[in-house]
Amino acid sequence: MSRPWPVNALMIKDPLGWMVFSLILLSTWLVFFVAPTEATMGDVQRIVYLHVAVAWGGLAGASVMGCCGVAFLIHKKLAWDYWSQAAGEVGWLCATLTLVSGSAWAHEAWGTWWTWEPRLTASLVLWFIFAGIFLLRSAIDDPVRRARVGGVLALVGMSDIPLVIMATRWFRGVHPVSPAMEPRMRWVLLVTVICYTALFAYLVMRRRRQLEGMELASQLEASAWATCPVPHH
Amino acid sequence: MQARHAVQSLYWLIRKDLQREMRALHAWSSMLLLGLVLAFLVGSQLVLPPEQKAHVIGGLLWLAIFFAGSLACEHSLASERDAGCWQAFALYPVAPSLLFLSKVITTNIALALLELVLVPAFVVLSDVPLAPRPVPLLVVALLGNLGVAAIGTIVSGLTAGLKQRSGLAVLLLLPLVIPVILSAAEATRLLLSGPLDSQWWTWIRLLSVFAAVFTVVGALAFEYVLEE
Repeated sequence: MSRPWPVNALMIKDPLGWMVFSLILLSTWLVFFVAPTEATMGDVQRIVYLHVAVAWGGLAGASVMGCCGVAFLIHKKLAWDYWSQAAGEVGWLCATLTLVSGSAWAHEAWGTWWTWEPRLTASLVLWFIFAGIFLLRSAIDDPVRRARVGGVLALVGMSDIPLVIMATRWFRGVHPVSPAMEPRMRWVLLVTVICYTALFAYLVMRRRRQLEGMELASQLEASAWATCPVPHH
Repeated sequence: MQARHAVQSLYWLIRKDLQREMRALHAWSSMLLLGLVLAFLVGSQLVLPPEQKAHVIGGLLWLAIFFAGSLACEHSLASERDAGCWQAFALYPVAPSLLFLSKVITTNIALALLELVLVPAFVVLSDVPLAPRPVPLLVVALLGNLGVAAIGTIVSGLTAGLKQRSGLAVLLLLPLVIPVILSAAEATRLLLSGPLDSQWWTWIRLLSVFAAVFTVVGALAFEYVLEE
């Protein structure tokens, strides 16, 4: 018997999910109640904890997407493509959150929502690359061709990752580079990044399983149509 | 002996593409016309003092080169599929990296031709002296063309045969090529606005790195692009 949504959602069927949920609650508590309030910016500075965590998730997602894409090109196993797509989607979500949280922080710190600063520009370019790859993937029906195209593009798109990381060092910009932090702030930041990394890994695993299931379902549907008797008139 | 065979194959592949383009006048003529229309639009809207014009003209020139040049990029491999020659091209008895190189060189020739038309058109219509230092401008153009052509060839191969090919190719090409366009535009702006300083060299280094990375990655991944 199927239960209504809240009952199903609250049932402990997924211990890993509950563990990750607890980690996110822990990091939220640390950010709001343990980390000290910054002297100049006040509470707005707390955005940094989320911003750094999602920025790391975005870059890690893009890297995993590229590596798994290359693994598909070499081994020709669709399982690698599911990993690549799942990591790319979660990475793109993180990249979106990075831009939004960074913009909110910049509004308070620099007095503007956006500035053409090297790291911001490189991050936006990475976001567009992700979006373009997903758009192209969605236009291809054949899973093997889709995986091949996705693999090659993810490999090419990875070239922007060093630019995002090194932008603040190679060019003169206003984005902070390893700013001095109080030890308690640094400690909270580290725990937050670890907790969110666990969340991203969990989401990638769930999405990969879903993609595999979707492909299996479409194969079963295709084989059912193929064996379906044609009606005679 | 192998090197000689490779050079000869490269020569025939490029010659085949150039001959076909000269006979049909498909993509390149559209590219040149679009470039001229963009130069006209920029010139008509650029009502600024001369020093401000010199500040923005580099970016506008490279945007025009990208949008007009994307027609040649998109056509470079898609033309093989349109003409029903994809398998013959893929089975040509040379390394896939050499096939890639032939397409990159052909697209480079197209982009150089476009710039030969666009730079004088921008000078005349926008009234900005674009070539006070021809050698550095040539360096920027060569590196920029290589980056755009390399990534354009890959995208053209991946989108060939898709229903919404043209829109998707440009949509995908633009974000991938932004680092190249941005570096080339900044290097052009700096060489127009004063002596070549360390900042100019930083952009040239970045442009060279991206052109090299796209060419090497393209050459390595091209055998997967050719797969049916």
